[in-house]
Amino acid sequence: MLNKINPWIMPKVIVYLLIILAVAAGSCKSGGQGKDAGSEIPDSVLNEGIEISEDVMQDIVQNISSPVEMAAMIKDLGVPYSNRYISPTDRVGNLTTSYQQALNLGIYAADLGYLNMYNKTSAVIDYLTSIKTLSDAIKVGQFFDFTTLKRLATNSKNLDSLMYISVHSFNEMDKYLHSNNRTNLSALMVTGVWIEGLYLGTQVYKVTPSQQLAERIGEQKLTLDQLMLILENYKKDKQYAKLLDELQLLKELFKSVNIRIEKGEPEMIEENGMLTIVQHDKSIVEISPEQLSSIIATTEQVRNRLISL
Amino acid sequence: MKIFLPILALFTFALSDLIQAQDVSQLTAQCAANAGDVMYLKDFVVKLDQGTPGGAPPTARFALLLSKNVVYRFSICSAPSSDGEAVLQLFDMNTLLGSTFISATGKDFPFFDFKCQKTGVYHVFISFKEGKAGEGVGIMSYVKKL
Repeated sequence: MLNKINPWIMPKVIVYLLIILAVAAGSCKSGGQGKDAGSEIPDSVLNEGIEISEDVMQDIVQNISSPVEMAAMIKDLGVPYSNRYISPTDRVGNLTTSYQQALNLGIYAADLGYLNMYNKTSAVIDYLTSIKTLSDAIKVGQFFDFTTLKRLATNSKNLDSLMYISVHSFNEMDKYLHSNNRTNLSALMVTGVWIEGLYLGTQVYKVTPSQQLAERIGEQKLTLDQLMLILENYKKDKQYAKLLDELQLLKELFKSVNIRIEKGEPEMIEENGMLTIVQHDKSIVEISPEQLSSIIATTEQVRNRLISL
Repeated sequence: MKIFLPILALFTFALSDLIQAQDVSQLTAQCAANAGDVMYLKDFVVKLDQGTPGGAPPTARFALLLSKNVVYRFSICSAPSSDGEAVLQLFDMNTLLGSTFISATGKDFPFFDFKCQKTGVYHVFISFKEGKAGEGVGIMSYVKKL
C-alpha cells in the first residue's frame, strides 16, 4: 500500500509529520510539570514533605468544593443577585506567580458559577476572560474552551450549556493538575473556590439570614478540615504556610461549632419509574449567632486579604 | 521509509489518544444531558479491565463531600464500545445507600436521586456487571435544595 504513494509527496508528508510531532511534544512539555517561568513555587513543594500519598490526596480532594453549589443554594433560597459579593477582575494583570494565579482562578470560578446561576451574561464575559488568562498562565488553558463559552454567554438561552462547560472545564483542569503531579496548584484552586463560596454564603447571611444558610456555613468546618489537611503538605513553602495561617484563624472559630449525627435507616422509593433514596441519618449543626458573627467577620478579612495579594 | 513507519505509528497512537479523549468528552456531555433538568457538578470517568473468575469485580472508587438539605442525582452511562454494563453505587462508610442496578429485582435505572440529610464524605463505586471489562461515566448533579 505504501509503495503506491507518490515519491514526491513522501518527503513532504514526513516533514509535516515531524512538524506535527514537534508541536505536540512542545505542547505536552508546556502542559506538564510546574516548571513554568511564572512559577515561584519551588520543586521541593511538589514532592518533598508529602506525608500522605498522591492517591490518598486525590481521594480527599474529590468534590471538596464545587464552584456552583453554594450559589445554587443561595438562589434556591430566593436571595436576589448582588455584584457586591464577587471579586473584581481588574487585578488579574497583577497576579504574576502561579500561587496567585491558581488561588484566584478558583476564586473567579466560584464567581462565574454565581453569575451563571443568576444568568448575568453581560458580566460573565469579564470573568471568562480572567479565567482564561489565569488558566493559560498555569498551563491548563487547553481545558477552557473560551471561544465556545464566550459564544454561549452572549445568549441567555444557553445557560445550561454555559453552566455545563464552565463546571466541566474547571473539573478537567483539576483532573489534569492531579494527573501531572501538580496537586499543589489544584489545592490552591480548590481553596479559592471554597473561600469565595464561604464569603458568598456569609455575606448573603448578613443580609438575608436563614437557618439553612447558618447550617451550611457551620458545616464548612468539615470542608476546612479536609482542605487544611491537603495544604499542610506544602507548608514548607512560605506562601502556603501563610495561607494556612489565614485558614487557621477560621479553624479556631469553627472548633466550637458542634455537628452531631442522628442515626436512621435509608429508604428507597420507586415512583413512576424513578428511584429516590431518602436518607434518615441526619447531621445537626449547632452554631450560635455569636459564632456566626465571628465566622462572617473573619471570612471577610481572610478573603479580602487573599484577593489583595 | 524506515523512518516513516515509526513516525506514522507514533502519529496514529497520538491520534487514537485524541479520539478517545473526544469520545469520553462526548459521552460525559451526553450522560450529563440525559440526567435531565439538573445541574452538572462532577463526572467520574471509568475504564476497567475484566475481573478474574470468582474474584470481586474491579471497581473504581471516588470520595465525595455531600451537603445536607440537597437532592443530588447520580447517573451512569456505559460507552457504546463497552463490553460490560456500568453500575453506580453510593456508599456512606460501609452502608450501601443507592444503586443504579437493584440486584433483587434485576432492574436498571439510568439514575437515582439522593436526598442528603447529613453533610459528610461519601463514596461512589463504579463497576461493570459480571466483572466484565468496560468504559463508562458517572455523573453527579444538583437537583434542588430540600
